[in-house]
Amino acid sequence: MKKKDNINYSIFKRSTWAGLMLVLVAALTLEATSLIQFYFSQRELAKEATNRAETQLEVSKNKIMGVISQAEAAVRNSVWIAQWALRHQDSIPNISTRIVSDNPVIMGSTMALVPGFSKEFPLYSPYVYRNIDNSLDTTSLASAEYDYPHQEWFVKPIEIDDGYWSEPYIDTGGGEILMTTFSEPIKDRETGKTAAVLTGDISLDWLSELIGDIKIYPNATGMVLSRTGNWMVNKGNGEFKELKQLMLTGESGSTRLNINGNDSYIYYAPIERTGWSMCIAVPKDDIFGDIRKLGTWITLLQLLGLAMLIFILRSLLRNQAKYRSLNEREKVIENELHIARNIQMSMIPKTFPPFPERHDLDMAADIVPAKEIGGDLYDFFIRGEKLFFCIGDVSGKGVPAALVMAVTRSVFRSVATHEENPGKIVTNMNDSMVDVNENNMFVTFFCGVLDLTNGHLRYCNAGHNPPLTLTDAIRTLPVEANLPLGIIQGFDYVEQKTVLKYDDAIFFYTDGLSEAENKSQEQFGVMRIKEALHGRKRSEMHLKTIQAEVGKFVGDAPQSDDLTMLFIHYLGECRQSPARHSITLTNKIGEISKIEDFINGIATDVNLDKSVASKINLAIEEAVTNVVKYAYPDDTVGTIDVSAVGQPGLLTFTIADSGTPFDPTQNPEPDLQASVQERPIGGLGIHLVRTIMDSVQYEYRDGKNILTLTKNI
Amino acid sequence: MEIIITKENKEVIASLKGRLDTPASLEIAKDIESLKGEAGGTVILDCSEMSYISSSGLRLFLSLRKAAAEKGGKVIIRNICDDVRSVFMMTGFLNLFDIQ
Repeated sequence: MKKKDNINYSIFKRSTWAGLMLVLVAALTLEATSLIQFYFSQRELAKEATNRAETQLEVSKNKIMGVISQAEAAVRNSVWIAQWALRHQDSIPNISTRIVSDNPVIMGSTMALVPGFSKEFPLYSPYVYRNIDNSLDTTSLASAEYDYPHQEWFVKPIEIDDGYWSEPYIDTGGGEILMTTFSEPIKDRETGKTAAVLTGDISLDWLSELIGDIKIYPNATGMVLSRTGNWMVNKGNGEFKELKQLMLTGESGSTRLNINGNDSYIYYAPIERTGWSMCIAVPKDDIFGDIRKLGTWITLLQLLGLAMLIFILRSLLRNQAKYRSLNEREKVIENELHIARNIQMSMIPKTFPPFPERHDLDMAADIVPAKEIGGDLYDFFIRGEKLFFCIGDVSGKGVPAALVMAVTRSVFRSVATHEENPGKIVTNMNDSMVDVNENNMFVTFFCGVLDLTNGHLRYCNAGHNPPLTLTDAIRTLPVEANLPLGIIQGFDYVEQKTVLKYDDAIFFYTDGLSEAENKSQEQFGVMRIKEALHGRKRSEMHLKTIQAEVGKFVGDAPQSDDLTMLFIHYLGECRQSPARHSITLTNKIGEISKIEDFINGIATDVNLDKSVASKINLAIEEAVTNVVKYAYPDDTVGTIDVSAVGQPGLLTFTIADSGTPFDPTQNPEPDLQASVQERPIGGLGIHLVRTIMDSVQYEYRDGKNILTLTKNI
Repeated sequence: MEIIITKENKEVIASLKGRLDTPASLEIAKDIESLKGEAGGTVILDCSEMSYISSSGLRLFLSLRKAAAEKGGKVIIRNICDDVRSVFMMTGFLNLFDIQ
């Protein structure tokens, strides 16, 4: 037991290792797959974010440029009339008025003269602006405090000699509005010198709205930086100096920055003409939040899956270990049962006819084993012209029954070799078996001793079912029930006797026959056995008939018990001696013609059918021809003795020669299906002998080839 | 054993009488050998009076049949009795011959 447990343990251990490795590999593979997937998804998402931000930058920039261009165009389209107005200075306020009234984006406008250009007005800058109710008012910027000639919007365009967008500024005039001004220098056509600056102011309120509209991600924000590094729109709570520096280079790009406590990706790009720069900030969580969540879920699911895998593997391995050990044990047991069955069967005489030289006895027996090993037995032997025989059935099935059967059989042999009295044989057997019967198994047993010289049968029954006698009718042999073997020590078994006459027979069987069941669970029964035994035949033929009948009755219902039969047909003490014929031939072909008369003599004697006689004639001729042709060397004369014994139902021929030892029964069977071309010319003789006769036995004894042929008739 | 060979039209008819056992087969072996010369045509073995055949006789029949197969002729066996038929059956000869 210990050893087996060890084996199981090592199987389990080895499998466990394999299982652990499997789980590990699965875990690594899963983890690697999701890491790779995570990496690539992240890259895709980053690309996607860049894409979206750049597109949004472009869109916003275009919108801003749209407003900017409108304002620029409004101012520039008035340049020619402004030049004209330099000579008609009373028209100057009208120019600004037209610019503001014609262009809704323009909140205010002025045309400021370069100081000294007009002798009449050293400073002149009438400012037209739009009120909240859309009405226009005019005011003058030519005050000493304001000092427009030093304002950025006035100085810069003259300095660069081009249109110029001012830094955003807060207009305090009409509410706190963020404004920017476009200024265009106006040149005097006559002198070619800059004589005035024409402006248009735009509000930057829309810019804030426009930037607020950026919704590429839930928490994305936009910001705009002016040329000089002032935030025109700033949704964050800081100055973001590093970002400013990057944006002030006037290039596009991206960076990462913490904005309002969010780790954010920043995409920025310049807005041409104005010198502004715009950026979009997207919190990292907006970009990668989903994949992070997904990653968490995937990891959780993977862990769950691995846990399940481990669980399944564990139970699988346990079952497998169990299954393997069970399977192996079953195989071992099955194998042992098989061996036990073979040993069991090898103890029982199975060669029939068992005593071919005896003409006073015709016996046959058979055990049809059930699928499971059982405990049926029979045995017989002849000692001193007496036939000792027995049949028995051990209670139960399986190895214990088989072992008890083996014990029973060997006890029978050992007791019966020195005891002739069946009552004493059974009593002795019982005593020695009770001694060793620890498992309370018992054996129903029938033992008989038949005196072959006079047909006297003494028998003793130990709880076995009574046999049937075949005399002038079929009857049940009267038996004392007694007790099965192995139950009570010292039980005195009663012996009985009867006398068999010539051609009487007894049929013994175990309950596997009488209780054989068909599918509707009917039993074969003694009546059917009796019917099957009708008529007098050779014992072997009787058994075949019964087997066929049982087979028909049972159909394909499984056989649950061993089925054992023993048939003893007494042919001794006969009133007329058996028909005996013999002839001696020499090894000449011509001698073969004598066989016809020889066979005809026998046929008349035992009343053979003409066609059966013709067949037997053929078989004997073929057997003899074989000897004539091959047994003796050419030119030597040898003899062949052919003898025949006729008994009821059986003809036995013996063909003996003293030539070269040769066993014709070893000849291969010819192929009867072969075509004309393939068919060999010879090889049919022995085939015919085998086909016609019921048994063909060869032996080499006392320097003679002896071929014994029997034919059931 | 007696064998009478006659020719009718283009057919050769061999009538077998008696028992074709081993010795008889030796007797008629020459006649069967001569019949092989006719095996390109049709050879009819009339067995109406043949009561018995052994494997030696079967050998003669088979050798004739083989010769016919080589030469493209035919061997027809006629009127076999039940005993002989059963021997033909046991040896598979029913399949080898045209039996009428």
